[in-house]
Amino acid sequence: MQAESQGRTSARPFRQEVAAGLVLLIISVLFGLVFQWPLVAAALRGEVGPLLTAKRAERRAAQFEGIPTLDLAETYRLWQERQALFVDARPASEYDELHVAGAVNLPPDAWDRLASPPLPADKGHPILVYCSQESCDDALKLARRLREAGYTRVMAYLGGFREWDEAGYPVDIVR
Amino acid sequence: MASLVTVWTSRLLSLGLGGLFIFAGLQKHLSPYEFTEAILAYELLSESGAALTAAFLPWVEIIAGAVLAVEAVLPRGSASKLHALRAALGRGALLLLVLLTALFVVLLLITMARGLKIACGCGLFFQRLVGPAALAEDVALLAVAAWLYRRG
Repeated sequence: MQAESQGRTSARPFRQEVAAGLVLLIISVLFGLVFQWPLVAAALRGEVGPLLTAKRAERRAAQFEGIPTLDLAETYRLWQERQALFVDARPASEYDELHVAGAVNLPPDAWDRLASPPLPADKGHPILVYCSQESCDDALKLARRLREAGYTRVMAYLGGFREWDEAGYPVDIVR
Repeated sequence: MASLVTVWTSRLLSLGLGGLFIFAGLQKHLSPYEFTEAILAYELLSESGAALTAAFLPWVEIIAGAVLAVEAVLPRGSASKLHALRAALGRGALLLLVLLTALFVVLLLITMARGLKIACGCGLFFQRLVGPAALAEDVALLAVAAWLYRRG
């Protein structure tokens, strides 16, 4: 009888804690609904993809103003002409696995650690930068850094290595 | 003396943990579209699921963190109903944070096992990839939250 009573009293605080947690969860959902309504509405309408694309473009236009971007076809044409240096902005481990044929590796955060970054001495040499996929910003970050370093013909390919690889264009590994 | 040290350690850890979750939640709340993309990179949720998670999850972190931090600085000892409610809310917040961090540990392990090289989207001080460092950080948070919850 006494054990049963103790069990009831120890179960009660836990039930109260769960109830309190649920109340906090409901309040969080309400705050999310109020403060992120455009995102919630897009989710309910099934239109998150276009909203993300538009917001990404808006943010990049402000953050990386003036950096020319190329699509897959333009990038492939540039690669065929063999006039531009292709720079892979992904981490070295990913570059080592597979990269655009002929590209060199320069992740934005590795630049300062390198004694001599693999870049042309001629600051007017065309450079095309890419990272892993459409949603990554590393290509644009590196392109901005290159422009700040004085390179005048820097472009970014936003489709990234994933799109290039899926299109079946030439790739290479580090041997 | 030992219990006084434990009480103050517990209060400081609650304050620190609450503050960290407020900070992480605010970071995500202020960049909802980037956070949605970070969730999508895990390739576990649909676009709509990721967007709803990005809308609600930051507020779970902010509100649970705020309740925990406030509970840590307010005086204790009263036997009033208000105090009981406050204590239950504090424990409820802690329970939410334990579940949240445990879920994230599992998510990180699954992602590492799948070999995905993506940003963790943790919203702490700097961006890092899913890997041992992010896992260690989350396990440490889970250990602190679980210790505080167990201590009562």
